[in-house]
Amino acid sequence: MSPLGPILLSLYVATLATLVVSLAGLGLARLFTRRRVTFAKFWESLILLPMVLPPTITGYILLSLLGAKGPIGSVLAGAGIRIVFSRAAAVIAAATVSLPLMYQHCKIALQGTDPRLADAARTLGMTESRIFRKITLPLAAPGVLGGIALSFARALGEFGATLMLAGNIPGRTQTIPLALFSAVESGRTAEANIYLLVTVIICFAVIAISGLAQRGRPGSRGESPTARSGR
Amino acid sequence: MIRVAISKRLPHFELRADFEVDRSTVILWGESGAGKTTILDCISGLRRPDRGRIELEGKTVFSSEADIDLPPRERGVGYVFQDYALFPHLSAEENIAVALGREGRKTTGEFLERFGLWKQRKRRPELLSGGERQRLALARALAIRPRLLLLDEPFSALDSGTREETYREFLALREDLGMSVLLVTHSRREAERLGHRILELKDGVVSSEWCREACCIGSGED
Repeated sequence: MSPLGPILLSLYVATLATLVVSLAGLGLARLFTRRRVTFAKFWESLILLPMVLPPTITGYILLSLLGAKGPIGSVLAGAGIRIVFSRAAAVIAAATVSLPLMYQHCKIALQGTDPRLADAARTLGMTESRIFRKITLPLAAPGVLGGIALSFARALGEFGATLMLAGNIPGRTQTIPLALFSAVESGRTAEANIYLLVTVIICFAVIAISGLAQRGRPGSRGESPTARSGR
Repeated sequence: MIRVAISKRLPHFELRADFEVDRSTVILWGESGAGKTTILDCISGLRRPDRGRIELEGKTVFSSEADIDLPPRERGVGYVFQDYALFPHLSAEENIAVALGREGRKTTGEFLERFGLWKQRKRRPELLSGGERQRLALARALAIRPRLLLLDEPFSALDSGTREETYREFLALREDLGMSVLLVTHSRREAERLGHRILELKDGVVSSEWCREACCIGSGED
């Protein structure tokens, strides 16, 4: 069996999951750093839960929710949409386990920007959305980029939750970790080594790209020169 | 004419400010922690007073009675922060232009020229000298054509040589602008050098007031 299929599928799933998680993580981080949210600790714990839960448990929870008899799955089934054992399921599983990483990175990055810079922008007449786009987000970019890189790597390596929700269907939901597992189980060592090599190369590339993007940016680690001068 | 009559409960005392600024430079002078910056924040709309009223050129921007609290962008107040709060990822030119509309951006060059920053326009704040950063913060605050200019310890980050030169520049600019300026400082010498009137703030209350010639027109010592 060609290892190209699982590799391409993994890249597809990880890219889509990272896109979803980047928007959701950044949006949630902005919400929780800007406003007082009712029961904030509870909602934050819920977002972070997949980081500490065993992935198979996360997968089982998703299966219970999205399965044909689950509260969400039954509604979707009524509309002719079947999530379980589909590529969408692989994306959902990967996104769920990588969201906590993205959220935490974004929150720390946003909290690290000097609040007086946003205040200065307010006195200059800028709206909150423009302040976020032009001031806060560029200054938080190193942390956000780090979050995107780690989320991609986590999504690429997702195994347990994907197996529970999407299964291990060759050509359909079999991502690199699942294909590696199958290859090792059936003694196809050469194929397993290709998966290992490709995964390590991709993860190295992701870390290197995120490192390059962060290098030399003023305001990295959320600090401004004014903040660094001991303001 | 700027009228401020506000109170705000702070952790260690109650801040009570009641004063006017009429197209002159008024200095808020006092020790660190006396509540000077909080007053500027309340006037600019960054913090909300508990009670009182703030009027800028006849327009009420805050009134606890009438439940008016305009956001900073609707107040038309220029604010130079302590340490300037320049945007570190933007060039000098972009620091001024970022808040201006398409029409306003055409005036960016004019402000850079006026404040002697044309050659440094592509540099980020970290590559500017202390004096240049101070001028950029001032140019940025004035580029929005404010009704009132607030300056929070604008000279404290400068070395003594640069500070003396910047005092002279500020005095010349003050005459040019002819606008209401409220400047916060903890330096008595700076206060007497730069202000038409000096308000001493002690434990959150304006305890005395002088005109520039040091004639005491309010209560309090020295």
